[in-house]
Amino acid sequence: MITAGIDMGSRSIKVVLVEELKVDGAPALKYGVKKSHIMMPGDLDQDVAADKAYNEALAAAGLKKEDVKAVFATGAGRKQVAFATEGVTEMTAGAKGANFMFPMCRTVVDVGAEEGRGMKTDAEGKAVDFAGNEKCAAGAGSFAEAMSRALQMTLKEFGEASLKSDKSIPMNAQCTVFAESEVVSLIHSSTPKNDIAKAVLDAVASRVCAMVRRVGIEGEVVLIGGMVHNAGFVQSLKTAMGVDTVSLPDMPEYISALGCALIAAERQH
Amino acid sequence: MADGLFDQFKDWYEKRHDYARDWKARTGGQVVATMCTYTAEELLIAAGMLPVRVLGAHEPQNVTEPHIFGMFCPFCRDSLAQGLLGRFDYAEGVTLTQSCIQYRQTFSSWRSNVPSVKWDYYVPMPNDVQSPHARKAHYAEIQAFRTFLSALTGKELTDAMLHEATDVVDENRRLLRQLFDYRKEANPKVTGVEALYASLTAQFVDKKEHNEQLKKVLAALPSRPMDRKEGVRFMTIGSENDDVAFMAMVESVGSTIVIDDQCSGTRYFWNESMKDADPVKRIAERYCDRPACPTKDYPAHTRFDHVLGLAKDYNARAAIFLQQKFCDPHEGDYPDLKEHLEKNGIPTLFLEFDITNPIGPFRIRVEAMLETLSEEELF
Repeated sequence: MITAGIDMGSRSIKVVLVEELKVDGAPALKYGVKKSHIMMPGDLDQDVAADKAYNEALAAAGLKKEDVKAVFATGAGRKQVAFATEGVTEMTAGAKGANFMFPMCRTVVDVGAEEGRGMKTDAEGKAVDFAGNEKCAAGAGSFAEAMSRALQMTLKEFGEASLKSDKSIPMNAQCTVFAESEVVSLIHSSTPKNDIAKAVLDAVASRVCAMVRRVGIEGEVVLIGGMVHNAGFVQSLKTAMGVDTVSLPDMPEYISALGCALIAAERQH
Repeated sequence: MADGLFDQFKDWYEKRHDYARDWKARTGGQVVATMCTYTAEELLIAAGMLPVRVLGAHEPQNVTEPHIFGMFCPFCRDSLAQGLLGRFDYAEGVTLTQSCIQYRQTFSSWRSNVPSVKWDYYVPMPNDVQSPHARKAHYAEIQAFRTFLSALTGKELTDAMLHEATDVVDENRRLLRQLFDYRKEANPKVTGVEALYASLTAQFVDKKEHNEQLKKVLAALPSRPMDRKEGVRFMTIGSENDDVAFMAMVESVGSTIVIDDQCSGTRYFWNESMKDADPVKRIAERYCDRPACPTKDYPAHTRFDHVLGLAKDYNARAAIFLQQKFCDPHEGDYPDLKEHLEKNGIPTLFLEFDITNPIGPFRIRVEAMLETLSEEELF
């Protein structure tokens, strides 16, 4: 049996196709990722983009629509996926996907383009509590993106630059626009770019950490979402949370879509 | 519900300013803008006035910045904006009974800057209602308010007039309690949105008229068929809430709001006055004894067990904190109240409210909360 999960993010659409595996003698059903696919929707309408991304994923996997038993959607635009059988929230999908990749995971930190959130999960991958940032980009990836633009660096360069700094410069601004003013002030005071990058990522990590503390930090901590690719942020987050290790999936932006596809598969039984 | 049983309340709510203007034209009485549910409406009603609680409009505004800080709670800013924008130009008077300091500043700005205000009165009710001196102090304040209103209207407010007004207000409280009792049932015959319309309109519609409408609804409720699914039973907790769009959204995604601890709901009408020959004592003590707002709930936190009791009596599965941003009294209570509820098996969700609220992100949070409460095993 094959099921699909579609994560309608604010920047990109992720599709994951999951296959149920027959393992003789195994105590429980097993699942494997058949195909994952990402598409930047550009100026397409969300419903059109969802359809396009799904068809691309099916084509890449060599599958037809009728091969897929159920399609579940998640993400900010999940209601726009007209062909989805059901929808689940990003919290539920993210917790499921992270727990699938890391079975000892009990705390999930999800930092995507427009939202940061923390989830507590049980042993089965069910989200039991969550907290998210409120009406503000300061705890999300787009904040780091805006600040890297101000420093005329790519996001990757931004993260790497941060790792070269051993300074802790507090950023007091809680809003992206005012933070940019602070970055400009730091540039004018000849603060090295590495130190500014670390200050920004420390600030994002601090905001995210505050949210995660609302649900509590327990067990293995897993970071998902696009900010996993930012090595400087990962280091800042570990420091802010006071943990030695944060587990990072190989394809972090797909985890919510994966969780969604897994839930779709489970609901067929 | 499509049966229209609560349409009169909805209509009153949506056209509340038209109602007040019409009442004034009909009766020739004065309208008074009231700013807190600790206001003793009984006195105003006895004086032949219509108390109209100031509610916000939930629309962006840019008129309050010269008067109160941006970090005052959105309800205070929205309330003041309504006065400054002339929405209450029919109200001769404005009155506040002491609750929080942000409301006090809103009241002061209103009486200084809303040109239609002809008179104002501030009742310095003790916040420490648990003090042995509070009742005596509030008795004196109610008596002083009575004297003020008698002088203002040129007509003595007799004991009989106060008793009569208190009886009418008590009847309103009793009828609202009866209406809310229907929410204890499985798949209740009254939704959260409908209950909100009923309790909110009680705060600005003529009480006798409101009582008659409540009686009509109560008579029809026993045979009311309910064709909606109950879903998860929620309680709401917070200060003022008249965000109908939010309430409707919550009840559209698989839940029913069955009870509240808010001043737009139960805290406004929960207790009646005790019978006493002295009408001032009846009124003063009723407000000292009502379910406390956090501003009047120390040193003992009486509301924690009251809120938990409501959740249990109404079989609420979980609670949503509707936290007005920058509302210090409620934010102060939040961590301990959350812990108290969760220790007793009531999970909570925290949402921060502003003058306008982002329904989309709120919907995702409510849906996520519902998923965490789901009994269905995903795996």
